[in-house]
Amino acid sequence: MEGWDPTTKSTLTQIPLLTIKAGPRDGATWTQRLKEEYKALITYTTMNKKNDNDWFRISAANPEGTRWTGKCWYVHNLLKYEFDLQFDIPVTYPATAPELELPQLDGKTEKMYRGGKICLTVHFKPLWAKNCPRFGIAHALCLGLAPWLAAEIPVLVDSGMVKHKDDAASSVEV
Amino acid sequence: MDDELLELQRQFEFAQQAKSSVCLSERNVVELVQKLHQLEIIDFDLLHTVTGKEYITPEQLKNEILAEIKKLGRVSLIDLADITGVDLYHVEKQAQDVVSSDKTLMLINGEIISNLFWDTAAEEINERLQECSQIALAEIAAQLQVGSELIVTVLEPRLGTLVKARLEGGQLYTPAYVERVNSMVRGAARGICLPINLLALWNTLQSLLQEMNGAGGVAVESSFFQSLFNGAVKDGEILGSLRAGVQWTPLVFATAQKECVDALFSQGSFISYDALHKLGITQPLQFLQSRYAEGIPLDTVFAHPSIVEMLDAAMEDAIERESWIDALSVLPPAFASQDASKILSTCPSVQTAIKSNKVVVFGDSYVFSSGFVKSLFDLLEKEMDTLNVSSFALKSDDQNNLGDDSSNLSDSNDAGNDSTSSKQVSDKTSRKKKGKSAGGAKMASIESGLDYQENVPSRSKKNQKKGKNSNSLQERDSKSVSKRDNDGPKGDSSSIISEEWLVKKLLMLIPDIEEQGIDDPETILLPLANHLRPMLLNILRERKKAAFTENAQKIKRLLDSIQRKLDESSLNIQLYEKALDLLEEDQSTSVLLHKHLLRTTATPLVDFLLLNMDMHNKLKNGIQIDESQNVESVLLSSGERVDLAKSFQGPLAAKAIALVEASEGKSVETFMTALRAMAEESGLMLKKLDKKLERTLLHSYRKDLTAQVAAEKDPVSLLPKVVSLLYVQIYGKALQAPGRAISVAVSHLKEKLDDSAFKTLTDYQSATVTLLSLMSAATGDEEDCTSDRISTKREFLETLMPALKSLVLGTQQS
Repeated sequence: MEGWDPTTKSTLTQIPLLTIKAGPRDGATWTQRLKEEYKALITYTTMNKKNDNDWFRISAANPEGTRWTGKCWYVHNLLKYEFDLQFDIPVTYPATAPELELPQLDGKTEKMYRGGKICLTVHFKPLWAKNCPRFGIAHALCLGLAPWLAAEIPVLVDSGMVKHKDDAASSVEV
Repeated sequence: MDDELLELQRQFEFAQQAKSSVCLSERNVVELVQKLHQLEIIDFDLLHTVTGKEYITPEQLKNEILAEIKKLGRVSLIDLADITGVDLYHVEKQAQDVVSSDKTLMLINGEIISNLFWDTAAEEINERLQECSQIALAEIAAQLQVGSELIVTVLEPRLGTLVKARLEGGQLYTPAYVERVNSMVRGAARGICLPINLLALWNTLQSLLQEMNGAGGVAVESSFFQSLFNGAVKDGEILGSLRAGVQWTPLVFATAQKECVDALFSQGSFISYDALHKLGITQPLQFLQSRYAEGIPLDTVFAHPSIVEMLDAAMEDAIERESWIDALSVLPPAFASQDASKILSTCPSVQTAIKSNKVVVFGDSYVFSSGFVKSLFDLLEKEMDTLNVSSFALKSDDQNNLGDDSSNLSDSNDAGNDSTSSKQVSDKTSRKKKGKSAGGAKMASIESGLDYQENVPSRSKKNQKKGKNSNSLQERDSKSVSKRDNDGPKGDSSSIISEEWLVKKLLMLIPDIEEQGIDDPETILLPLANHLRPMLLNILRERKKAAFTENAQKIKRLLDSIQRKLDESSLNIQLYEKALDLLEEDQSTSVLLHKHLLRTTATPLVDFLLLNMDMHNKLKNGIQIDESQNVESVLLSSGERVDLAKSFQGPLAAKAIALVEASEGKSVETFMTALRAMAEESGLMLKKLDKKLERTLLHSYRKDLTAQVAAEKDPVSLLPKVVSLLYVQIYGKALQAPGRAISVAVSHLKEKLDDSAFKTLTDYQSATVTLLSLMSAATGDEEDCTSDRISTKREFLETLMPALKSLVLGTQQS
């Protein structure tokens, strides 16, 4: 699990692991899987709140629970930068990890695929594959998005690619 | 199903809606605290833990420390630092604060210990004590992990209250135990009746205790016993006296000892140190002197003055009776001879008597009144008279054997004395050695108190009393030897009166010595003999001196006579020797003449010389000689002569033997040289014949001879005299010719005489020869014609005699 900072690691271990291996097309088992996903997300969120480290809001965008939308944010220099977050559960889930998208940052950084899908570290995929089907959405957020934000947002802010919403508002106006 | 999912969705929603708790970072907090300090809102030292994550106020630290102390009553500072997580420095500081503010706490060796802890510890100890009766402090200290000194200081105030025990020599004992040991000590001490070293007693008690306690029993310090014992002594539970801390003498023993000594001393008026040693008194003299101030300390006994009084009375009696007494016979048998001598010295009557020379003390205990000694001396003196003669003979033999050269006729007394004295010294020392060994043998035989060795100092003491400055027997001996050296030959007399002889005589004179039943009378007689001997020797010496002066005159006379005779004879011999020259040619006649001369003249001379020398020797040695003895009349055989010559000493003997041999030889000359040598050796003068002397001698000889011829009646003996006279007249030489040489001598006269005279001579001579031959032939036969012929011949000769006489006398006249 090298490649992640100690806080991430400790957080990850506290997220409960999932047991049911089922994709969106598996019907009832998928529902079971979805329940586990929710439980894991609840634990993760509670944990974050307790540690004063709340950084995202998501909710299922369709009843099947195959599309999720929400927001995520990062605090840099006492300023809170907030971005939209959306992703689909792939058909091959949970063998394939969901591709997290930050559409607002599309084209602003090279660590991103077209359509705002973030580039994850080389360590992510093998780890995910190894832990299939135990890892779920909560794990993907914790291992994927949180480190990406911590690494990329300061760079983007400093380079001026991303502006605070107050500034952004003014710049939009301009 | 969906409900559940929905419920989960709602829950998730709710969780996301929930308010997030707000947390400050560490850095922020540190900054905040710093700020508070800066603003002086926190106005005291804020401490932090060693991890650096926590702040702690001193007050809190103090409270924590106190809480820790309360838990066990005892906590180490290092442990505190670990527990509170605060640096040791701050912990120590706070601990000191805590301890100083609370009197029940103490800080010892990095530990805070409360009184409460000690109380509980003391209770524990007490409980254990009740079980074990005794505990060593070291054990407690090891258990509590504190110093034993600390234990002592802590326990002492609690002894008797919390800890019901007694502390003794690093051990805690319960009162019951102490009482038990105390009883043991008391019992043992009361049981002891003899003086004892307490340490030994403690050892036995210790082993006893160990047996009682079994193998696991703890050794009890002997100091514990000792303190219990001292307490008992102080309380009067045990009676006795303690010396040097460990030597215990029970009162019962001391009392018994005292009573015993008192009884002994009052019974016998004396007490021997041996007896006191048996009673266990190690220093009897001090003991007795402190108890009986008036007593007299002696070498082996301690005497009451009454003993002295008794002895004094006996001594006085003996002195008055002019007798002798053995102090030991008066004293109790426990007295040794040294004691006797000592007590005698305290005896007033003896002292005064010694001062006034009325008494002599011999050995250690024998007191002789001087009257008694005097009478003994007189008796011995008489005894000596009988002794003298025999001893002289004995001594002279002795001296000759030893080769003493006192036969020198000259006054070589000095040299002679030296040799005699040296001989005496050797003689004396050898005798002394003998005496010593004899004394050693005796020593073994008289071990019953009369030690010979002990006599030596006392005897020397006696000498001092007599005013002799010699301190030891040895010195005295050497002195006497040297004195004898000076006395010279007179010292010999000491060997005559030997100690043994004296002792024998004394035994005869004092028969009651044997009656006394003394084992070895010599012990008393030897010193007595030694005392008497010098006096007797003096007497003897004086006598000998007198004899010597007498002898000296005799010697002088004798020497004179010897000289005279020697002169006379030697001159005669020389005179006759000259006449021999005339007949030198005829060998046989010469020899004959020589022999004749030696026989007739020299031999008597030799005899006289030898006899007189012998006599001189004797005189010189102080031997009385009967002067009436006629020396000259004695004629000796050759054997006797040789013996006598051999009896002389040294070179003189050789010379004398040579002389004797020469006198039996054939040559007058060799005899003369021998004679000269002998004379030289013995210091006599041998006169040389000179012309004047020869003439006077010849003249007197001639006169003598003429008178003899004139008076001669015997025709046979007339012839040689006539011939000799003729020789004197014609040759001026004195011829001594034997009968056989007469014819030669006569023929020698032929030329000198005229024919008629010569004829008369030859006729006479032939007639004499025939007469003599007839006479010799007639001796064996019976009465026959020869006797007639002899008588006729004799008559014939007698007729011739006047002619012959006239021949000589006539020529003399012409």
